[in-house]
Amino acid sequence: MVLAKSPDSIVSGNGNRYLDVDKINKSLDLVTSNGATYAEVRLVALTDYSVAMRDGKLERAIPGQEIGATIRVLADGAWGVHSTTDISSLQEQMSPTLKLAQSVAARRSAKDRPIKLAEVPIIEDSIHWVPKKDVRNTELSQRLEHMKLMTSSASEHENIVSVTCGWHDENIHTEFLSSEGMNRTWSFQRSLINGMVTARDGGNVVSYRTRFGGEGGLELIESCDVDALGENARISALRLLKAQRAPSGKMPLIADRDLTGVYIHEALGHPCEADLVAAGDSCLDGKLGHKIGSDLVTVIDDPTIRTGYGAHPIDDEGLDTVEKCLIKNGVLTEYLNHRETAEHFGIKPNAGARAQDGLHHPLVRMSNTLIHGGTHNDLDDLVDDVEYGVYACGSRGGQVDTGRGSFQFAAQEAWLIENGEITTPLKDVSVSGLTLQILKDVDGLTKESRLAAPGFCGKGQTVPVGDGGPIMRISEALVG
Amino acid sequence: MLPDGALDRLQEGCRTIGSRCNQLGISQWEVVASQSYGHQIDIEGGKISLAGGGGEGGYGVRVLEDGKFGFAYLVDVKSADEAISSAISIARMSPSIDGFVLPSEQSAKKVAGLFDKSIIDLDSEYLLNQADAIISEVSSLDTRAVVTGGGIGVSANAASILTSEGIESGGLTTSHGVGVQVSIEENGQLTSSWQSKSAKSKLPNVPQCIERAVEWAQLTRDPIKVDPLEDDSPILMTSEGFSPLFSVVVPTAIKGEKLVRNESFWSGKMSENVLSSDLSIIDDATVESGKSSGSRDDEGVPSRRNVLIKDGKLTSSLWSTRDSAQQISEGRIESAHTTGSAIRSGHQSPPVSGCSNLFLTSSKKSHSFESMIEVMGDGFVINSVMGAHTANPTSGDFSVTSSSILRVENGEIIGAVKQAGVSGNMANALQGGVFLGDDVRPQGSYSSGTMYVPNVLLTKGIRVNPV
Repeated sequence: MVLAKSPDSIVSGNGNRYLDVDKINKSLDLVTSNGATYAEVRLVALTDYSVAMRDGKLERAIPGQEIGATIRVLADGAWGVHSTTDISSLQEQMSPTLKLAQSVAARRSAKDRPIKLAEVPIIEDSIHWVPKKDVRNTELSQRLEHMKLMTSSASEHENIVSVTCGWHDENIHTEFLSSEGMNRTWSFQRSLINGMVTARDGGNVVSYRTRFGGEGGLELIESCDVDALGENARISALRLLKAQRAPSGKMPLIADRDLTGVYIHEALGHPCEADLVAAGDSCLDGKLGHKIGSDLVTVIDDPTIRTGYGAHPIDDEGLDTVEKCLIKNGVLTEYLNHRETAEHFGIKPNAGARAQDGLHHPLVRMSNTLIHGGTHNDLDDLVDDVEYGVYACGSRGGQVDTGRGSFQFAAQEAWLIENGEITTPLKDVSVSGLTLQILKDVDGLTKESRLAAPGFCGKGQTVPVGDGGPIMRISEALVG
Repeated sequence: MLPDGALDRLQEGCRTIGSRCNQLGISQWEVVASQSYGHQIDIEGGKISLAGGGGEGGYGVRVLEDGKFGFAYLVDVKSADEAISSAISIARMSPSIDGFVLPSEQSAKKVAGLFDKSIIDLDSEYLLNQADAIISEVSSLDTRAVVTGGGIGVSANAASILTSEGIESGGLTTSHGVGVQVSIEENGQLTSSWQSKSAKSKLPNVPQCIERAVEWAQLTRDPIKVDPLEDDSPILMTSEGFSPLFSVVVPTAIKGEKLVRNESFWSGKMSENVLSSDLSIIDDATVESGKSSGSRDDEGVPSRRNVLIKDGKLTSSLWSTRDSAQQISEGRIESAHTTGSAIRSGHQSPPVSGCSNLFLTSSKKSHSFESMIEVMGDGFVINSVMGAHTANPTSGDFSVTSSSILRVENGEIIGAVKQAGVSGNMANALQGGVFLGDDVRPQGSYSSGTMYVPNVLLTKGIRVNPV
């Protein structure tokens, strides 16, 4: 076993490379001359730092270095893939990966459609999103300073039994070489701070979590009022101690930006992923050009929104990232795709390929997903018309069955709406529904749309995402 | 799949890093290493979409000076000095924990059934054949059924630990797993079911989970209308449906540090009845062939069987060395010791407390699926839920959705329900009127370890809200 050299010398933009371009290109040429229609090597070197603090004391700090590379070979219409932390073995693994692809292809029947890739521009360049304050130059003491500030403001009450605070920053450096001549290097950074406040009153124990982060270096965290973040989490946790169990049944729902983001991610974003559509596992199959939502609904997925947690300059097939408009005024206009699914559906590639890291192959994924704003001025404007419903805030996550088009997401806290007024605090509110119904039931959006708290999306692989939008009202949702 | 001498090279790497720690005068240190190799087949849209393979690994180093610890991980032994230096500088900034020392060497009993040589010999061609067999089996069970997603994987893993306190251990484990999403689409109606099976030893060519996936895709077709219910309903959750919720809530609630910090719904209830008096919860890393078994925990302490809840009474909790020392030094508890329950997510993290193989058992007679349906009378059978990860481990509350749910009336399944909200509190639901099935099927976990749970009939405290 030979493990890779550590990525200690990589500095954004200075031209240092892990891959020996000449040698890799020769092996890519060899594998194509031996029958591959396409081959690529993608290497990701990650330098990251995680910190955990509990009640103001450092629990653990973990500096890390990771490197991984994945070979993908397309031959006779089928994929072979090899992933490794042993970078020195890449050349010798090229032929076995070709054989894997050929083995898969040999099992395909005549009716199986061979995999082909949509044509894309061939680019040789380096793109580095250089942050104002490189996270790799951040001292542990600087990280702890921000975390202590959040902890301090979150702790100030006798019913708060615990405050945990987390930090994660990372520098992601990617190198991409393909048999088509693509030769790209890119890098960017992400930073994140989060908190979890636990409150207790007798036997009643509740928790509330908060998060801030996005693409960028230390300057991103410095732009955040972490004191207010902690204070708001404390107030919410204490409120949850007195909250009542939510009513259940169908009723109007107003969702804050966090929850609107999770809703659109789960209910629409996943079914829009073209790999799921092609596999017969999406309720949006055959719906391109169809009206599937109310006129109010326009949804984009945009990895170029800098500071969004899902931002990235180039996708993991080497394509420049672009804004995708998934729904325009209620009409489904675009699937998120990668080269394989763009060719499959005969549509333009839109750079939707993402992999968790250098050891995973790319799938079709979301990045920063938002609903555009509407015409309502503010929350009060939306609440005014509601006789009996729920206002739900903050996300505890969600899940979707893309094939059936059913989804579920959970709120961190909520309130009852009675006669146009926000009244009783509620806890453990979840919302479920059917994609093709609930998009039609969006009947109010506030004007301002922006990204909410950063999140993570799981689809076999985990990737950072940004979600958000305006405050949204749904005329009828199943609340549980 | 497993290169010759893989474990030897890993252990040699640990010794190199350990020697460097000694040269730098570090009083206590621990080096862990892991390296995995594997093959995988992905299935999409009823056919094999990809064949892959590869390997990954690295080292982690934990240093300890005067109760202060630091940790770093690395991919190359050559960068050990940098990692050790990072770990030392972190230790110097960390709070000192009185009484925190790394565990000393104790002999550990080998756990059988964690390595199957026949898996090492499996190649991609074998897995491709297995994938074809599974796709064919699904089609033969129901011509409408298609494997819309899933795959097969085999892996061999080498792991090693070396510490300044004399612990030197390493070993090889294997695993073989299959997971399928089976869908049936007909007359504009799509139903589906995800089922999986994994083990340390070689699986049958077509595991039983394949038939279950087809069966549940069939059972949930042609939904009937069920009127909204005002009262709580009994629910029979299959092992597959119950374990995700159980795994979010219980492994967290049973951690020693959570209990003494008042962060668990079972805090302050040691020696009190917290579950139905026939129920016990046991964490056991010594189970032969257990999915989360091992002769030692992830900081080298010999594994053991920990009875956490016995006959409904909370009797013990899960501790790692550091967590126990920290809670004593902070005055939250007078006495606590490691229970051999340190876990890590690979070489990239220092150990924390967590469960291994977590068993939910009953002293009463176990029940067949059919007899539990009869006992239920009116209620629901739930085979999977959406949103289990949104359950609240602090309070035990959950509010999830199921599209794999059947209606039971008068002791008989009368049809499928299209979708329903399911909410309740896990701790309350397990306090009474619980019946356990006779077929324990190990399942994965949202937190840590493996859940060894059977089908579970919960008769109190669950609200079902059919669409």
